Amino acid sequence: MQHALYYKSKKFLINTLIHIFLISVAITCLYPLLWMIVSSLKTQDIIFKDISLIPQQLHFGNYIHALKEEGFGRSFLNSIFYTGFSVFGVVIIASLAGYAFSRLRFPGRTALFYMFIAAMMIPIPASFVPLYVLMNKLHLRDTPIGYILCMISAGLSVSIFLLKTFFDRMPKEVEDAARIDGCSKMGIWWHVALPLAKPVLAVVVIFNALNVWNEYILALIIFDSRKFMPLQVALQVFRGEFVTNYPLLMAGLTITALPIIIVYLLMQKYIVKEITSGEVFG
Amino acid sequence: MLFKSVLLGGCVLFSVLGCSSQKIDSKPTINIWHWMTDRDPAFQELAKKYETLTGVKVNFELYAPSDAYAQKIRAAAQGINLPDVFGILGQKQDFVSFIKAGHILDLTPYMEASNNSWKNSFFPKALTVNEFGPQNSYGINPGIFGVPIDIMTIQMVYNKKLFTQLGLNPNRPPKTLSEFLDTGAKIRSAGLEGLVSGWGEIWMIDCLASNYAFNIMGKDKVLATIKGEVPYTDPDWVRVFTIFKQMKDSGVLARGLVTMINKTAEQLFANEKAVFAFNGSWCANVYQGMNPGLEYGAMLPPQASDKFPMAIWGGAGSSFVVNARSQRREEAVKFLIWLTDQDQQAYLSAATNNLPANKNSLSKIPAILAQFARGMDYATHPNAWGVSEFSLVIEALDYGIQSIIIGEKTPEQVAEEVQKIKERELAKKRKN
Repeated sequence: MQHALYYKSKKFLINTLIHIFLISVAITCLYPLLWMIVSSLKTQDIIFKDISLIPQQLHFGNYIHALKEEGFGRSFLNSIFYTGFSVFGVVIIASLAGYAFSRLRFPGRTALFYMFIAAMMIPIPASFVPLYVLMNKLHLRDTPIGYILCMISAGLSVSIFLLKTFFDRMPKEVEDAARIDGCSKMGIWWHVALPLAKPVLAVVVIFNALNVWNEYILALIIFDSRKFMPLQVALQVFRGEFVTNYPLLMAGLTITALPIIIVYLLMQKYIVKEITSGEVFG
Repeated sequence: MLFKSVLLGGCVLFSVLGCSSQKIDSKPTINIWHWMTDRDPAFQELAKKYETLTGVKVNFELYAPSDAYAQKIRAAAQGINLPDVFGILGQKQDFVSFIKAGHILDLTPYMEASNNSWKNSFFPKALTVNEFGPQNSYGINPGIFGVPIDIMTIQMVYNKKLFTQLGLNPNRPPKTLSEFLDTGAKIRSAGLEGLVSGWGEIWMIDCLASNYAFNIMGKDKVLATIKGEVPYTDPDWVRVFTIFKQMKDSGVLARGLVTMINKTAEQLFANEKAVFAFNGSWCANVYQGMNPGLEYGAMLPPQASDKFPMAIWGGAGSSFVVNARSQRREEAVKFLIWLTDQDQQAYLSAATNNLPANKNSLSKIPAILAQFARGMDYATHPNAWGVSEFSLVIEALDYGIQSIIIGEKTPEQVAEEVQKIKERELAKKRKN
């Protein structure tokens, strides 16, 4: 009886501590998000006077003002376009390359793979000027395709590494069965490898979507025309040299955060599925 | 099949995007790149006005934030793609490297044309940052290479409403140090804060310290100290350090000032919790955003001595340069002459709360900005001194003053410590 009580109390105590820890982590993560949303509903002077999380008056007009700001709507569409095409490009190229590095035998395979891996070590800002010069020579500066190609290139090394590692673990028997059924190499990649790689592809999609969606420095360097600028650049309009228009910036950030949250929610089921199933191949 | 269709579709779309032709504008167009987010709407408005007047289209392109803009300019310089007019951010050395690479047009002939009319329209000190004198240490041919579009000064501001509440004359801020120190007791008994500033971001401390050094010992002696000819243990320097102790003892400094960041200081002053602030003229913009109804005035730091005039830091705020390789450089210069004319400067100042670079615009701008701009008569800046102090010495001076304020060290101790570091750095320099 005493033992049962002891173990019950111990379990309760441990659970309580774990929950306190998790709640504090959750608060740490959620508080900035909450502050962003609350600030987007205040006025500039109220933000500095009233730090409470429940504003006395809600100013939804900030969202309309942010959306009406010159170029914000167009930049929003630009960002969706760049993110969509870049992620699509990365998924196609990285999955093909990852599959080739894993399954095909060709001269220079290892050296080429290590070259891709080495590219992960180069920080993107270090490549801005060379990229600019390259795009200039290719006459792709100030064009959406130039920017998309740069973003695809930036996302490839990590994505290839993830997918190659995944395909290495894929049993050969699955491929053999597909080959017996008459599948070509491309057919195996499309009908067998890609569907099995959904959890990794979900990671690749989230990682690259976040990367492209939040990128603005390369966009500023590559693009001269305002009409091509992505959303993150448009948000800078609210940040003055000395004064930041916090309500509009926070409204803009809230609008900006929504699509990426949707992408995450759409993709997380694949990641959770893999974690809960433990092992895809078994 | 599906895969092939998707790939084909993607390729076609990519090709279409890649080959999209650029629209060619028949009108002459001047392209200007800048990073000044808060000035962009005013620039766009002025560009429209200029187009109506002259038929020349001016295309202001904003690239913010400033660090990304600086990278863009460097990349464009590498690719010889700089626009007709642009601004350079960073140290004077960056400016020099652009001039040496042949990217920047020497504006001296334009400045000096018609009996120096363009040059004389600016506050003389606003040109210093863009000017290279004869035999300058950078090896640049003497000349003016940039056009200031606004200026800045770093001064004190005081809250007029709180002044009235304390029984002080809101139209007569303290002029002498003793008058300033006398307000300390009143401020404390009223439960208010005294002077706020971003002294946690230490550079503002040596800014005020050098203001008092100029006032107590004069420019020559300050520069002699930097050259190593006068020690920091000199009684005049001890007096400079003592001013901070006097301020602390009188209660005129706000609590927590030593670690205060400028944003907090601005918030305290804008919310009428602090009576004084030591800040740059950009604060007019900040206070307008935080509390549009704030009643305040600008003042020089109160004088500690009658021997020399008070000095404050100030000079050009932002500047534009003309691309020496631009085919439209003549049109670009004409536009800059127009942009810095008094009417346009007054418009920019009123619309953006920045100080005009054109000294003839003062009568047309808001009173508080004119007060700040008049401070240019007392302005100086380390960049214009021709000698610079060792960064370790500046650091020791700033930390030393912080120690005086928190009561850890005496002014004499700080003077000795700063001098020790100065001697060490001088010895290192001599060795090299």
